[in-house]
Amino acid sequence: MARTTRRTRTLMTLAALTSAGIALSGCSSAGSDDGGDGQTLKLWHYEGADSAMGKAWAEAIKIFEEETGATVEFEEKSFEQIQKTASQVLDTDAAPDLMEFNKGNATAGFLASTGLISDITDAVEEYGWDDMLAPSLQTTAKYTEDGVMGGDAWYGVPNYGEFVGVYYNKDAFAEAGLEIPTTYDEFVAVLDAFVAKGITPLAEAGAEYPLGQLWYQLALLEGDRAFVDDYQLYENPVDWDGPIITSATETLAEYVDKGYIASDVSSVKAEDAGVSFINGTAPIFVSGSWWFGRFVAEATAFDWTMTAFPGADLSLGSSGNLWVVPENAANKELAYEFIDITMRPEIQAIIGNNGGLPVAADPADITDEKSSELIATFNGILERDGLSFYPDWPAPGFYDVIVQELQGLVTGVQDAAETTKGLGEAYDEGTADFR
Amino acid sequence: MSLSTRARRTAPPEQPAIPQSGRGSGAYWLYLLPGFVLLVVIVLIPLVWNVYLTFQKWRGVRAPEFIGLENWQKLFTDDDFWVSFTNSVWMIVAMVVLPTVLGLLIAALLFDVIGRRFGGRVASFLRATYYLPQILPVVVAGIVIGWIVRPDRDGALNQMLGWVGLPAVDWLGQMPSALIVLMVVMVWVQIGYPVVIFMAALQRVDPELYEAAELDGANWMQRFTAITMSIIRPEIFVVTLTCTIAALKVFGPVYVITRGGPAGATLVPAYYAYQEFFTKRNIGYGATIATVLTIVVVIVSVVFIHVQNAMEQKERAGL
Repeated sequence: MARTTRRTRTLMTLAALTSAGIALSGCSSAGSDDGGDGQTLKLWHYEGADSAMGKAWAEAIKIFEEETGATVEFEEKSFEQIQKTASQVLDTDAAPDLMEFNKGNATAGFLASTGLISDITDAVEEYGWDDMLAPSLQTTAKYTEDGVMGGDAWYGVPNYGEFVGVYYNKDAFAEAGLEIPTTYDEFVAVLDAFVAKGITPLAEAGAEYPLGQLWYQLALLEGDRAFVDDYQLYENPVDWDGPIITSATETLAEYVDKGYIASDVSSVKAEDAGVSFINGTAPIFVSGSWWFGRFVAEATAFDWTMTAFPGADLSLGSSGNLWVVPENAANKELAYEFIDITMRPEIQAIIGNNGGLPVAADPADITDEKSSELIATFNGILERDGLSFYPDWPAPGFYDVIVQELQGLVTGVQDAAETTKGLGEAYDEGTADFR
Repeated sequence: MSLSTRARRTAPPEQPAIPQSGRGSGAYWLYLLPGFVLLVVIVLIPLVWNVYLTFQKWRGVRAPEFIGLENWQKLFTDDDFWVSFTNSVWMIVAMVVLPTVLGLLIAALLFDVIGRRFGGRVASFLRATYYLPQILPVVVAGIVIGWIVRPDRDGALNQMLGWVGLPAVDWLGQMPSALIVLMVVMVWVQIGYPVVIFMAALQRVDPELYEAAELDGANWMQRFTAITMSIIRPEIFVVTLTCTIAALKVFGPVYVITRGGPAGATLVPAYYAYQEFFTKRNIGYGATIATVLTIVVVIVSVVFIHVQNAMEQKERAGL
């Protein structure tokens, strides 16, 4: 009993101290942010310091401080942290002046529709950023009042792009006497050939995004721009029983049956799939350009290359994450000046020379040969208006649904028809608000 | 006369005034006030707000929209919700039933056998090793477990299976192995708690009782059931109640190890509510799941306390 009393007292003391701490921290943050003195730019981003973007932003911060005399108060955040808590934080005085945020209807679009991030159309026109960005890159930066991308008002500015293609281990191909495929039929023939040699050709991950991206890429093989507009921009209802999606789900099930991907893929994470390509276990990896820099640094034991998905006019991809300016930002002008610096050729070149895909770089500045090859592939996709965004964008929480449904498919818990039905129901429910 | 004189002499010169009813009770209320304020701010207001949200459609910002009983209706036809509650039953098996039974046996063995033969220090050391998983952050434990049970031959467990010629198992990628792994982890995490509580409780047992029983020819199992079990019954109740509540609310291990997968097979109510709250932004529906969870926890607690009181009263009555 005495112990209980003492514990209760300790807990109460702790609670009191905690609430006092919260109160104090609340006071201090309000005190420092309310000023909007034009001398401090509070900046949040979640790029790793060694990534192409991390290096570019570090240089941009240096230039910004030299040129404006203002100080950058940088806070390193994680992607998850910003994703999960942004809507709460941005509604308070603790909001930063400039923040990196994920693009898409369920993310930047959601914040735009709630008024938590600013309509920066005037700044975009004033600084001329719209002239620097290809139309398909603009789609994810502009939103309607309801937060649907492709609208008229600018809510963010992207500095880089990304797309999903296929990484090939050239040494493994040479050893198996195979050529890098240029059509979908050749791609399937290569998969068959590896399986015949007892090699599981595709590195895959069912617990995270790679499997869902492969599923959507298979749908894009059959679909056209109108399908993408219906799926992503809600122009017309998506036919979940139609040939495009049915074919994608059935083909994915076939990939498992035929041994193109391992049957125990459902608990594998993206990192593990990437590592199995890096260590040479799997000769093919369908994934994004965000792996490129990592592979340059780590997949050094063999020669490799990356192309767009063979035979597809449409590729998953979009602009990179966006710089967004919270409505509660105290120093919006400084935020615009920082964005402008990140669009300069010298900063864009840092992105390009470190495995990233710059959106406004001078090709002459890209000195790295492998990076030039990647940028050329990306530019090819942009030229044929081939960016088709990502499968989980249309509805909040659809990412988890895709992961769960495709896990059900690859583990054999449900067949292709049940999987498509589950996906379709969740999609329709999640997008009902936007239609 | 002499008695009263002695009494006067031994009595302290100034007795502290015992607060009289009416006048003193106000002071007690003052002491209770901080706790009451915290209760209102941290528990009652969020609870009322949570219940209010169950009748709303809300994405977390802007005003909620009243939708009546829609969230509640959806709940009853939602397969995922029922799967999550079925999994709670398995979590109760893993976090309450098995740890309590095993904890009882281990505590009795440590106290009665190891403690006697090898001394208290050895018993204390072993008790600490059982308790170790309790102090390990669940995220760290989860990541390590994740490495151990990785698919193919990448995981330590599958490598060991390979040494004895057994095929690799996709532990977290299929059912029922994903749920079994989660349950084994929870048994491992939980077992130290009952061991420590029961060993502390065993200190209350008079050694003479054991000796007397031993002289009467009672074997270890008879002593365990007749003496140990009956004396530490209050602790068994406490452990069962707190662990049941923990099992119903379990979140961390599911988040770190399986994320509710594969295909939602290891979903539990707390993780499901989290998904609805933070990833789907169906705040109203998430609040409905959380409210049901709260109701279940309250019912379980009330039933437990009621049963415990009834048994104690029976015991006091000498039945």
